[in-house]
Amino acid sequence: MKFTFNWLKEFVGLRASPQKIAEALTMAGLEVESLVPLDPGYATRHPGERDWLMEVNVTPNRGDCLGILGIAREVTVLTGGRLKPPRVDPHTGDASARRAVDVRIASPRLCPRYSARVVHGIRVARSPSWMQSRLEACGVRPVNNVVDVTNWVMLETGQPLHAFDLERLSSKRIVVQRAGAIKKFVTLDGIERELEPEDLLICDGEVPIALAGIMGGRDSEVRPETGSLLLESANFDPLTIRRTAKRLALHSEASHRFERGVDPEGTLYALDRAVWLLKEIASGSPLGGVADRYARRRKSAALWLRHQRVKALLGIELASGEVEKITRALGLKIRRRSKTGLQVIPPSYRPDLAREADVIEELARVHGYDKMPATLPLVRAAGGMADGHLRRERAMRSFLAGEGLTEMIHLPFTSREMNRRFPGLWRGPRPAVEVLNPLTQENAEMRLSLIPGLVESLRAQVSQKSKGFYGFDLGKVFSLGFTGAPEERQCLAGAIFGYRERRGLRVKEQSPAAFLDIKGLVEGILELVGVAPQVIWTGESLPPILHPGKGASLEIAGSRVGCLGELHPDLCEELRLPSFFIFEVDFEKLLQYAPREFKVRSLRRFPSVERDLAVVLDDGFPAQRLVNWIKEQFNHSLIEEVQVFDEYKGAPVPQGKKSLAYTISYRAEDRTLTDTEVNALHGELVSRIGQVFGAQLRE
Amino acid sequence: MAESLETLREEVLDRIARCATEPEIEDLRVEYLGRKGRLTLLLRGLKDLPPEERPQAGERLNQLRRLAEEKLAARLAQVKAREKERILREETVDITLPGSRWERGRMHPLTLVMDEIIDVFLGMGFEVARGPDIEDDYHNFEALNMPKDHPARDMQDTFFVSQDRLLRTHTSPVQIRVMESRRPPLQIIAPGAVYRHDDDATHSPMFHQVEGFMVDGHISFADLKGVLTHFIRRIFRPETKLRFRPSFFPFTEPSAEIDMQCVLCGGEGGKREGSACRVCKGSGWLEILGAGMIDPQVFKFVGYDPERVSGFAFGMGVERIAMLKFGIEDIRLFFQNDLRFLRQFV
Repeated sequence: MKFTFNWLKEFVGLRASPQKIAEALTMAGLEVESLVPLDPGYATRHPGERDWLMEVNVTPNRGDCLGILGIAREVTVLTGGRLKPPRVDPHTGDASARRAVDVRIASPRLCPRYSARVVHGIRVARSPSWMQSRLEACGVRPVNNVVDVTNWVMLETGQPLHAFDLERLSSKRIVVQRAGAIKKFVTLDGIERELEPEDLLICDGEVPIALAGIMGGRDSEVRPETGSLLLESANFDPLTIRRTAKRLALHSEASHRFERGVDPEGTLYALDRAVWLLKEIASGSPLGGVADRYARRRKSAALWLRHQRVKALLGIELASGEVEKITRALGLKIRRRSKTGLQVIPPSYRPDLAREADVIEELARVHGYDKMPATLPLVRAAGGMADGHLRRERAMRSFLAGEGLTEMIHLPFTSREMNRRFPGLWRGPRPAVEVLNPLTQENAEMRLSLIPGLVESLRAQVSQKSKGFYGFDLGKVFSLGFTGAPEERQCLAGAIFGYRERRGLRVKEQSPAAFLDIKGLVEGILELVGVAPQVIWTGESLPPILHPGKGASLEIAGSRVGCLGELHPDLCEELRLPSFFIFEVDFEKLLQYAPREFKVRSLRRFPSVERDLAVVLDDGFPAQRLVNWIKEQFNHSLIEEVQVFDEYKGAPVPQGKKSLAYTISYRAEDRTLTDTEVNALHGELVSRIGQVFGAQLRE
Repeated sequence: MAESLETLREEVLDRIARCATEPEIEDLRVEYLGRKGRLTLLLRGLKDLPPEERPQAGERLNQLRRLAEEKLAARLAQVKAREKERILREETVDITLPGSRWERGRMHPLTLVMDEIIDVFLGMGFEVARGPDIEDDYHNFEALNMPKDHPARDMQDTFFVSQDRLLRTHTSPVQIRVMESRRPPLQIIAPGAVYRHDDDATHSPMFHQVEGFMVDGHISFADLKGVLTHFIRRIFRPETKLRFRPSFFPFTEPSAEIDMQCVLCGGEGGKREGSACRVCKGSGWLEILGAGMIDPQVFKFVGYDPERVSGFAFGMGVERIAMLKFGIEDIRLFFQNDLRFLRQFV
């Protein structure tokens, strides 16, 4: 809502500066978004007058402040000044207007009131410059004196008006009705609008002449030769106007106001004001009477304002004198007083005051939020804990950042193409969630996996000639479930490529990211959640995004919880990216399996003895198999731990073979083991391995 | 004898003093005190002296021997200390060379700010709740007192994924979900991503909010002021000035918007510099939180009796707070994930 400060001053006695008034309005909920002195061009047309343009952000509940008079009324509440309504040409009770036009409302629910006056003798011309420049300053384009008057009065009162060329209404029977069978209508901007049966029309007999509350029609608009006017001042149902305006994307000053509720009691005042102005600047000679159909009167219900409730909600006791002062200033009528409170009736222009809480807000607003106390409530003992989920999210982030991965947050939108390539961890192929009104077609689907976002960040990094990329994302992925309902899960994914950055002097031999690096990250994650022992690693049935020989799938209790590995070379080629490694785990599922607690083991009293073992085996032999065999089959109580520490291929190991090296820790609970004892046991282990695996012992 | 002993003494002391290395000292010791050392031989030769001279000569020789031993030991200690000193000096490193370490990864600035916000509220006894990003119309709008065709829906341009489902436009639906499933007292914050159909330097189609609410028998507007004042002063400076302004949200009544003194111009609005401050656009204030007392209608939707409970709710934009804290001018930087940006957050 834009208006000039001097215009406001015409309606309320003001001594305060525009800045003071702006501050007062802002602190009362009518936020003044800008206050700027009007430019010198404006000042030359108003000699001697300094003026400011004020723009107030009127919240959707305050339709009454979409007119300067409404703002002025608010100023009187805040400053105690008196309201000075502008001059009008008061209508009379005679039937002159009713004889000139007949008004009928077919849908009273959609049009509670329709008022009209008739003005003859109009000379259409340009408006006087004071009117034009003020309208322009307020963002309204001047057209001619008649249209300008209707806009002027709308800005003043908040009541939209429309002027029809009376001579071009053939039947002089105004009917307010739904469009029904009428399918098309040409608005005054010359555009043909497609109608729906529910749209509300103003008709002249059968002929539509206006899209009610939104825009008039081309064929009945005021033209240079127009001599007589039918001036409409009506009230329409907000929802109906809103639906039509939204569907037609036709947002007008009028529809904006009707959507937010216009006071049905104000139609006549606005008419009379417009007629006075038309007499002044368009030589109009009005008929005295008014054609006024008031089909549905809205009665403001009385409501109780209880002292105790005011105190409970606001946390302060307002003096009853002040409560009464504020309610009266706001235009509420006090109907009854009792020990416990006041019974009040809100004014017709404040339909937003329908409940006690609404009126309590008014008390707080006018009293001033800044004058209210600030207290800290007593806190219950419960609550206040960082839940396990939050704790683990934080642990994950710290761990991965410590490992050199930087956290990234990607928009969850992606293309159909990327979703096809990266279907994520969902069980079976899952359709993606589509956005019906995406920003662009490249963003039309919700991601099934976190990988596409990381791929794009990696691409940007590689194109900056970077030698490495280490990133992760802890975010949600989405898909449609079997019932068609969307599902979402929080996943954790990472991508690593090239060299991890090092500070300091150059290291001779740094190696780029490899499979064991990504595996190490995932092991760390599983260890942090506490599910490492439950996870089964498998190289079988890998997701197709992975290199078939350099990938692994993770399962807990038969269901997939993640995957990791090198991206499939074909996919890298398609994406025009160098090879890199990724992991993605279903974070929520991992948390489901996380143990709630753990117990420490007692510290061992006796030292362990380590023996290394190197064996030559077939190239395809999984290193872990020997570890498992030792633990499960050989299963000796003195063997505490078995660890792989090296894998070697190449001379002198024959082609098709590899050498694996293990460390075995021996320890007894009750004594220090002797060399002889350990050597005997180790010797036995070595010879059994030789027998069972056909493995050759290596020096 | 006496003169020759005196000469010998001077010679020994002089040679000890000129020793510079451990082997030299050892050689000297052998030369004088060794089995065939000169002093040893002299001592051994005592028996050839006349008996009356023996005691005196013996004592003087022994004195000299003790002296030589002492001086040798002292000299050895001195030489050793010097040697150690020399080695340490040679081992000195250039402390101006760069330290070596792996580059750390960084946490996202939004995570940093989100964690800070969450921790302030955890400290005040709030707990964390979560809700789905894909919401239904009922929880995102209806139950928050925004019926279909309500103009307040215009304030939030929505992404739809079906007739009835949408990407939540705020974290307020979590309020409804929690109240549907639990009874007061409640003191909860709900952090998360929200979505609006918007894309420019100050709007991102996805951004983050923290919703919070407190419901109990007698929670008042004064409590709202107290909690949020405490919060902002923890997140920004303790002396930060605030103002509470009436506003409108369909799901709170009374509603408030909370402004804080501008972080750049300190509330001056740039008047001193003669041009409007670019952060607060000259007003001196920055909008930072929306809040209010939960509307009775919302309580009815979740089956609470508005006569028996009251509560406040608030919501804030995490990106906005991060932008103000770190002086970031383009919201899109948060989601471009450019390492040159992310690396700056240590």
